[in-house]
Amino acid sequence: MNGRFLILSFFFVLQACSTGSTKPPENLLSLTEAQMKIRSYQTRVFDLSDQQKTLRAVVSALMDLGFIVERVNVPMGLVTAAKFGNSGFIEATVMIKPKGDSQIEVRVNAIFNTKPIEDPKAYQNFFTTLQKSLFSS
Amino acid sequence: MLLAVLLTSCATTSKPATFFQLTPSSAKYKALQSRIIETSNDNELLSASAAVLQDLGFQIEESVVDAGMLRAVKERSARKYSQEIGRVFVFLLGILGRQIIILPVDLHQQIAATLIMHPVKNSTSHYNVRIIFHRTIWQSDGSSGAQSIPPGLQTMEMIYNPEIYQQFFAKLSKSVFLEIHQI
Repeated sequence: MNGRFLILSFFFVLQACSTGSTKPPENLLSLTEAQMKIRSYQTRVFDLSDQQKTLRAVVSALMDLGFIVERVNVPMGLVTAAKFGNSGFIEATVMIKPKGDSQIEVRVNAIFNTKPIEDPKAYQNFFTTLQKSLFSS
Repeated sequence: MLLAVLLTSCATTSKPATFFQLTPSSAKYKALQSRIIETSNDNELLSASAAVLQDLGFQIEESVVDAGMLRAVKERSARKYSQEIGRVFVFLLGILGRQIIILPVDLHQQIAATLIMHPVKNSTSHYNVRIIFHRTIWQSDGSSGAQSIPPGLQTMEMIYNPEIYQQFFAKLSKSVFLEIHQI
């Protein structure tokens, strides 16, 4: 009887611990160095001035890569696209915004099965395709 | 050793770096999905495209004129005789083995079309129209012995059947011709 009580109280202690650890971390919204690094992989600045033309090039690059364009918001310069492969679902969001008068900044971020893609090579490949699309259309 | 081989094979199929890489078939699909159409009125071309999609039974879900984009869907049954026959056959085989095996079959499908058009470089009278068809299929429930398989499993696939694209573009070129040369 006593032993059973001991086990039961042990479970209570464990549960108390687990509820304590579900508290969100304090640095949840702070910008870490790793995040800054990822942002730099995801961003590329082009010497262009036509935002709409850049947006169209982004859309055709995504289509060339087999993505299905889900949403386009021209005034905001936002494109959302998705692609499904054998191993899962990839979703990409591209933001196109002017930087000064003669430059345009393109930022892409992608997730694979709800997990953010952090491999710089993936973003490099995207920008290579975008560059081709920019100069061919 | 075998496990290691299996693990590496998994790793290569889901390598993020390859998601944004053009494949040898990219150019082939682009050719299949795009056509250049002669018109100087892009709004006319977009509304003609919407009309063709409506003729083909699609509902237009979204249109962005500034980006030359249309998104349309149509819902259809996905039932196939071959799957139903296969289901009965497997069920009978299962009974012989004293187990209830009910294969899930395709029930419903949603066919979606995404169309994008943009002017051809250095031309004011030619537009490049690209359409992509894909579909989502929902499966029925089933059971394998003691375990039941819940309904609603989704599978998605791209449609690369050339006839579907040819049919769309044939209708579109006719419709553009009609709309431009109105009598």
